[in-house]
Amino acid sequence: MTRLARFEKSVLPHLDAAYNLARWLTRNDHDAEDVVQEAYLRAFRFFDGMRAGDARPWLLAIVRNAGYSWLEKNRPAEVVALDDAGLIASDVETAGHAAPAESNPEVIMLQSANRKLVNQALEEIPVGYREVVVMRELEDLSYKEIAAIAGIPIGTVMSRLARGRELLRRVIEVRMRKAS
Amino acid sequence: MNSKTDPAAEPMVARDATYHRAPDALRERLRAGLAREAGAADRSRPWGFLAMAASFAAVALVTWNLALLNGAPGADELMARDLVNAHVRSLMIEGHLNDVVSSDQHTVKPWFAGKLDFAPPVVDLANAGFALAGGRLDYVNARAVAVLTYRYRQHVVNVFIWPEAGEVEPRASSRQGFSVVQWTHGGMRYSAVSDAAAAQLFALAEALRAQGAG
Repeated sequence: MTRLARFEKSVLPHLDAAYNLARWLTRNDHDAEDVVQEAYLRAFRFFDGMRAGDARPWLLAIVRNAGYSWLEKNRPAEVVALDDAGLIASDVETAGHAAPAESNPEVIMLQSANRKLVNQALEEIPVGYREVVVMRELEDLSYKEIAAIAGIPIGTVMSRLARGRELLRRVIEVRMRKAS
Repeated sequence: MNSKTDPAAEPMVARDATYHRAPDALRERLRAGLAREAGAADRSRPWGFLAMAASFAAVALVTWNLALLNGAPGADELMARDLVNAHVRSLMIEGHLNDVVSSDQHTVKPWFAGKLDFAPPVVDLANAGFALAGGRLDYVNARAVAVLTYRYRQHVVNVFIWPEAGEVEPRASSRQGFSVVQWTHGGMRYSAVSDAAAAQLFALAEALRAQGAG
């Protein structure tokens, strides 16, 4: 099998996971496509260094890296250092101000209310929390895999996940209060 | 979240957040782009048959070595052992890690001048998450080498550099829980060693290349 054929067989099947992560990092379809294309070219170049069986976390680490490079270049304000030891009250305030709330009650009343609420809230929280929530809840990755992908200790994965969920809950509560 | 809400109606990420699937058009574009990339790589290697002959020769040599030495470790493995030993030593005692402590590449690079018979490329990669911490001289592979040290979150990364011909893509190995990623590019051999994941060392290799080094 050629190198390309091996790559297509082992790495291309994880395209949805790559796109989902890139989409949640950039919050935009077009930018997500750019990030995924860049990541796949890099992945192909570095393919010989991949250990067998590790394709998804290996690819996601490259996607994450490409996503952060893209954010740093295009929206540096979104890449904030997380204070993993600090309190989260200030994060909640920031999150609440990050985007104007979609407060049309009729919209919230629609059947898709939860879907919309969760999507908006997830887009609102800082990217450092958003990524661990997405990797855990949507990609079902283990703490260990997330730690390897994001380059942080497992303990930090757990605390960011807890804080991310807490932030989401509060943002959703605020939005529901505004809507009612 | 809200005690008055029916739990079934509570918003939940796993159930309610959108899983964004890749558009088919993107899949097609990627396939085309990869085929181009693979084609370009093939065209830049017109000596492909030589490489194949060399790989047969290498297999023969390895077989012969194995027969002779009964499973003696390969060159890469010996090298990884050397590198990991040097990495561990560098962290054992305060002050072993760096001979010159600086996050400024313009301070670290001149420090090497006159100490080695080559000029290692020195770049800060703070933008990619790898902050330059300093540099030192070390002795591996029976020669004096340059070592650049980077901090990646709470990990220390030692990047050993010495001149070597050829182009070899980054490849990973691991030893005693340390990751080692080695590659050869632009006349230099690079070996990154750390307790961080190999994926992070690949990211470092990539960042070095993006800076025109590594």
